[in-house]
Amino acid sequence: MRKASHAYLGSYAMDFFDCNCSYGTPAYPPFRFARTPDQLLEAMDFCGIDRGLVYRAGMRFGSPLLWNDPTAADLANEPRLEPAWAVLPHQTGEQPPPEQFLSQMQASGVRALWAFPNEHHYRLDGLTFAGLLEALTANHIPLFVKLNAIELGDFMREFPDLTAVAVNQGPHSLERYLRPLFDAYPNLHLDTSYLIVEGLIEEFCERYGPGRLLFGSAFPDNCAGAAMLRLAQADIPEDTKEAVAAGNLDRLLAEVQI
Amino acid sequence: MKPSNPSLLAADFLAKGYSDDCPLIETHAHYGPYQGAYLPVEPHENRVHAFQRAGVTKALFSAQSAILGDVDAGNAMTQKVVDREPELFAGYWVVNPRNAEHMARLAGDYENTHGFVGFKLGPAYHTYPLDGPAYAPALEYADAHKLIVLVHTWGGSAFDSPQQVATVAGRYPQVAFLMGHSGFGDFETAVAVARHHEHAYLELTCVYAAHDFAMLPAGSSTPIQLASSLHVNGIIEYMVEHATSKKIVFGTDMPWYSPHFAAGAIMYARIDDEARKDICHRNARRLLDRVTPTDT
Repeated sequence: MRKASHAYLGSYAMDFFDCNCSYGTPAYPPFRFARTPDQLLEAMDFCGIDRGLVYRAGMRFGSPLLWNDPTAADLANEPRLEPAWAVLPHQTGEQPPPEQFLSQMQASGVRALWAFPNEHHYRLDGLTFAGLLEALTANHIPLFVKLNAIELGDFMREFPDLTAVAVNQGPHSLERYLRPLFDAYPNLHLDTSYLIVEGLIEEFCERYGPGRLLFGSAFPDNCAGAAMLRLAQADIPEDTKEAVAAGNLDRLLAEVQI
Repeated sequence: MKPSNPSLLAADFLAKGYSDDCPLIETHAHYGPYQGAYLPVEPHENRVHAFQRAGVTKALFSAQSAILGDVDAGNAMTQKVVDREPELFAGYWVVNPRNAEHMARLAGDYENTHGFVGFKLGPAYHTYPLDGPAYAPALEYADAHKLIVLVHTWGGSAFDSPQQVATVAGRYPQVAFLMGHSGFGDFETAVAVARHHEHAYLELTCVYAAHDFAMLPAGSSTPIQLASSLHVNGIIEYMVEHATSKKIVFGTDMPWYSPHFAAGAIMYARIDDEARKDICHRNARRLLDRVTPTDT
């Protein structure tokens, strides 16, 4: 039983850096979403979220071919929003080979990538992505992986040293799948967006320490304020909360060598 | 940074985790372990602690095992919890239309309880349609006694769609039907049902989070995923606009949705504080005032 009770200081001093948010118009849009970076900033302001690592809806629900470059261009002059790109297999010629792709990332100021295997219909494995994943590992580039826990386990077995962030792991409790993975792979991180079951954030921090959990809202799939309030009121020490809210993502991005 | 959200209630929740001006009445909670997932909220004290930290003053609940296992043993568990903390908890009696012997003694069993306010129906879990004849005795009883009936609902379901709620709401007009999960995925229909039927309500559990079944290795107990399930942001605003804040009640499926996550979705929806109070406690209080708990 958890006995400690850690109250949020309520000073608005905490820096929230959302690792999982997006703008743009999908084919089946949410009732409320952000069409543009300005609208995303307004939504973040409403919830007290300072910064975002951002992808564009078209990179997930459409083709990264169309939206990786424009997203970086959109956000080039917005200090609160940092762009992330989505990956595709290079064998089809849709994305360049790893070395060239990393050069394009560098030129566009991109320090993080997303993989959407279900949306884009590929296997996230060594057969398909060995060169790119080895390069990401060598350069400490974080890969945000939207993959169910069984496939995530297969993936981590192949690339245990990659800096990976598992996202959208829920909304149910998937702990019976996830804990063996987090026990085995220290470079595997998790975003908070779907740690919605009562007590999961607290037990994750207690079991794995403050360094492997990242604040994510999954906006606009979900309400960003829900994720923000959940973390703000999590029953964890204040320094752990600050690390989860922003410090861990800042650290991962600072470690990128590109 | 300070949120630009002008809500005083949201500021309270952010600063303290609760608001004295906006207690939460939980209309859809569960109790006990679940075979398909690890739930950290056990034991009992953790659950009460979580409620207290978010300002939950009353929790209407059923035992998960009553829905998914032995209905009699599960309902007995509910009774024990109500007896243990009657100020905090009130019970739903789970109805299983697949268990004829249980159905035959339903009214008598219910009248022997203490602190129950209605029934919990899980048509999809029992693969039996809400508007089918085996549910009729329970719904007739609920209609005669103006009970609260919480129904698991899901868009596109063959067993508990919002359209089926409309059917039974028409047949049993005195039942306060809470549409659990607000007909998830078919929100527009659920909102229309709530608007057109005086005692039909939208219950918010699940509405706080998108459901992408591709992320669930063992799938979901609810077999349908509509495209609309992939996003939920803004739905509470849509409900308030089209069904009014008077037709929405707070619930968390405890422990499936953290009370603070659920409260956050309401506090950071683009609605006013009066609507937030309606959703968080006023509507549920009105419903509880309308029903006489058993053995009181």
